[in-house]
Amino acid sequence: MKNVIEIKNLKKSYKDNFELGPINLNIPSGLIIGLIGENGAGKTTLLKSILNVVKINEGSIKIFNKDFKKEENIIKEEIGVVLDNTFFPELLSPNDINIIMKGIYKNFDSNLFFKYLKDFNLNSKTIIKEMSKGMRKKLEIITALSHHPKLLILDEPTSGLDPVVRDEILELFQTFINDEEHSIIFSTHITSDLEKIADKIIFIDNGKVLLEDECQEILNNYGILKCSLEEFDKIDKDDIISYKKNKYNCEILINNRSKLKKKYKDFIVDKVTLEELMVLMIKGVKEC
Amino acid sequence: MLGFIKKDLLLIKGNLKSLIFVILIYFLLMATGDFDISFIPPFLSTMIMLSTFSYDNYNNFDAYGITLPNGRRNMVLAKYLSTIILVIITTLLTYLASILISCFKGDAIDYLYLLNSMMMIIVATTFVIIFMYPIVFKFGIEKARIAIFVIVFGIAILGSILLPYLDLTNIINFLDNYGLVILPIFVIGFSLLSYFLSLKFYLKKEF
Repeated sequence: MKNVIEIKNLKKSYKDNFELGPINLNIPSGLIIGLIGENGAGKTTLLKSILNVVKINEGSIKIFNKDFKKEENIIKEEIGVVLDNTFFPELLSPNDINIIMKGIYKNFDSNLFFKYLKDFNLNSKTIIKEMSKGMRKKLEIITALSHHPKLLILDEPTSGLDPVVRDEILELFQTFINDEEHSIIFSTHITSDLEKIADKIIFIDNGKVLLEDECQEILNNYGILKCSLEEFDKIDKDDIISYKKNKYNCEILINNRSKLKKKYKDFIVDKVTLEELMVLMIKGVKEC
Repeated sequence: MLGFIKKDLLLIKGNLKSLIFVILIYFLLMATGDFDISFIPPFLSTMIMLSTFSYDNYNNFDAYGITLPNGRRNMVLAKYLSTIILVIITTLLTYLASILISCFKGDAIDYLYLLNSMMMIIVATTFVIIFMYPIVFKFGIEKARIAIFVIVFGIAILGSILLPYLDLTNIINFLDNYGLVILPIFVIGFSLLSYFLSLKFYLKKEF
């Protein structure tokens, strides 16, 4: 499988002492990659570094096997972007966006743009100021799709949207990914969205990649072992990744779930959700 | 790049009404007396274009614009070109109004004087852009407003102190004779300098 993005030794630091990296990532094409992590972990900085919105201090980025520094403009013709904050000028309408984008992307497809507008019930004459947050997000996403990109880079594209709109957008992503040449990398706090559609998860914490694996592998292999506070000592410390002691019980994050389920027959070993994994990995106690 | 120019011009669509209103007032004043306020519409159009920086800032457009092909370079160039396009259009409209009124009143029209006058206004307005845009690209529109105010105020005070001691007759005579040739060269030269300075600042910016 070809890599759509190759990042080597990427480092980005800010004056406030936050440091991203060193990040080394190979992102295969044809997949939906979910980027997770708590606020301030470095997800947006990573995406902005890839797009040259912020300047990296060290490292190299290859996209579509091309050096990003040397061929930035050619590469950007094939990338669709949605940023975390709304970014289209409020005084414009979708009609205006079409006029603007035709003058920016060589391959901007107005027919496809207006088809998407119709599919998503967006009026081409309504000014963005009068649109709801969901409508604005839909407009941003369909604009990102309308120049036939090969790669979508999306920062929190589904945040603040109701479940119906989110579902529509996730379907759109799945349709987009049907073409094996296409890839999506998106960050989100709504981890349930990723459980539905992501092929691979990259978990960032404090500027570093904490976990990088296939989504299904993570959901199958990791688990939560639940026991009472008294029973906690019966658990082999080598089996514990991290744990959280509640008032009456204890939740322990484990790996190799099926094996440990057999080992600890008297305990409940549940499947883990990405949200639980995130919380326990970040907030859980790691040393026993 | 055309897309960014269109974006700026579409953004000021709403302001065009006030610009047309000012041109109409100008039309009225010209028709009823000998007022020459022909510099106002082009200067107003510069101010209106300056508001597109505020729109971009308010709507977080810069970060998005950078993600587009050749975004940083094109956004800077588009700001210069869209401003110059608007200044030229408003100057032409203003002078067209002036010619129409002169025809209507039966006054003789001195086309050379009009051409000179138009050129001076375009030059003066362009110098405003040449001066302001690098500051805006360096500091952002909010901080730049204060910086521009301080600098303009400083120049005005300095000018009023020094002006009585300066003999500008030679300069005025020189401009009268060679202005039409020299000034465009100056304007183009300083515009390029200003553009490259703005670009240098913007290429380093992070959002």
